[in-house]
Amino acid sequence: MSAYILPVLIIMVLIFAFIRRVAVFDSFAEGAKEALKLIGSIFPYIAGIFVCVTLFRVSGLAAAVTKLVTPFSNTIGIPPELTELIVIRPMSGSGSLALIENIYETYGADSYIARCASVIMGSSETIFYVAAIYFSTTNVKKLRFAIPIALFASVAGAIISCLLCRFL
Amino acid sequence: MNILFVIICVVSIGMICLINPESAISVMLEGTRGAVDLSLKMTAIYALWMGILKIMEKSGLSYYVSKIFRPVTKLFFKNESKETQDIISMNLTANFLGMGGAATPLGILAMEKMQDGTERATDNMIMFFVINVTSIQLLPATIIAMRSTAGSHNPSDIILPALIATTVTTLIGIILVKLFTGVRKTRK
Repeated sequence: MSAYILPVLIIMVLIFAFIRRVAVFDSFAEGAKEALKLIGSIFPYIAGIFVCVTLFRVSGLAAAVTKLVTPFSNTIGIPPELTELIVIRPMSGSGSLALIENIYETYGADSYIARCASVIMGSSETIFYVAAIYFSTTNVKKLRFAIPIALFASVAGAIISCLLCRFL
Repeated sequence: MNILFVIICVVSIGMICLINPESAISVMLEGTRGAVDLSLKMTAIYALWMGILKIMEKSGLSYYVSKIFRPVTKLFFKNESKETQDIISMNLTANFLGMGGAATPLGILAMEKMQDGTERATDNMIMFFVINVTSIQLLPATIIAMRSTAGSHNPSDIILPALIATTVTTLIGIILVKLFTGVRKTRK
């Protein structure tokens, strides 16, 4: 059912624009042209984040941090199997999807751990990546308390997710 | 961001040097190659969505769409211009529907419009960022698809808990931003 939503929306957009006598094809091209410019300006930031995240993961630092925070995350109600996901999630979308895939294989897609992981993934974002991209074309260098608040809300969300999966 | 980047990179490269110094450069190149791959993928996605967004803009449709989250933008971003509020509203709509490819270009544009020329993020920019990264997605489509591939019997049974969790995190985020910006204002 949900698979119809986007295609149907796009059909409606096209028909609506055509009726309104918009130069549909030219408008599409005009918009698409800006995509290249946008990627050009955010690529350097993506590169920086990716170098950092790859180093973090491959060097074993991610595993070390995971080990360090496991006792803490355990006391606030996050199962130890999910600590690595909580650590990687704000940094890398593809990295956390790989972890989830692994969790599905190890514990089964309908297990408590897998459901928690799914809910955590579905209710959070790659905070550091979004921060780098969203502010990339502005002059802003100081994000003030933006990231701490986002991380705090994200961890709170993980706790709530694990709690909800017990009942729902 | 700056300190974090330096600390993570220095410690990681140091750790790699202890085990296998030859691999250090190739690991970093793996990172930039990943960035190139993602950027190519995103170029395709942005070209599609920015094309469609332009059609919506020219036909006046974006005006109607931006009405959906108008109450929210009026509540949190009332001192921004009407145009900026419309972009924010469109971004929230796209996020809500899980159209990340459309949400990101709009988000970047909204940030450009909200900056005040200084190096400090404004209160509104922080609020907008926090609302965006606490995820307001209605359907976690990718995860549902992955679960069904992995053989789940009821892949969509995570929709309700995810919706509750995401609502709560967004509320926590908003309250914290209000709290922190409030504190600063009373100090003035």
